[in-house]
Amino acid sequence: MADPDLLGRYNYDAFVPAKFEPWMNFEASPPLGQRGPDFPLWDLDGNQTRLSAVWARHTYTIVEFGSFT
Amino acid sequence: MNAIAARYADQGVGSIFLYTNEAHPGEHYPHLTSVEQKLRHARDLRDILGVTRPILLDALDGACHRAYGSMPNMTWIFTGSGVPIYKSDWTDARSVENAVVYFLDVIVRRRGGERLAPFRVERLDYRTQDQAAFYRGLERNGPNAVREFREAFG
Repeated sequence: MADPDLLGRYNYDAFVPAKFEPWMNFEASPPLGQRGPDFPLWDLDGNQTRLSAVWARHTYTIVEFGSFT
Repeated sequence: MNAIAARYADQGVGSIFLYTNEAHPGEHYPHLTSVEQKLRHARDLRDILGVTRPILLDALDGACHRAYGSMPNMTWIFTGSGVPIYKSDWTDARSVENAVVYFLDVIVRRRGGERLAPFRVERLDYRTQDQAAFYRGLERNGPNAVREFREAFG
């Protein structure tokens, strides 16, 4: 069961520093050169896959993170 | 980024867009509260903003996004065994393409018999700042998105 408090904080409802700054953690992101953590992902039809299944398909895979906004 | 995906697809380079939380929620595209809403926003990213790469959704709680640093528009490049070899806290097509060209050349050098050892490098890259286009995007999200950004950064 997803943590409702986490869901609300991560999906913040306003772009104000107190809400978005806690998530800017690039400095603590995984290091280069070591296998990255794997997670489930879903396509636009709702089918589940994994990040590991994505990167395994190609010699290199470019992953851009973002949203409509 | 779409153009880079197309340009290197036949050289073993895959590309995806990983959908996260909403960076600048507004009245038209509010913060996410359900997977169904996240799917709708992601389809609009494809249909309205024209992202042609495969779009994959992170979990609603951002498990993947948070583990990789939660920046709103970052880019990572992985090898086929899942090792990140490039990470950028902001997405810039020139920077990404520069890295792709370099890494493709690594394959050529190895095939040519060169013995290679990895090392780490830090570099500051430079992106174009198009404030007008950025604000047009915020307006598309809704008036609150514009106001909040102005209040945060002036």
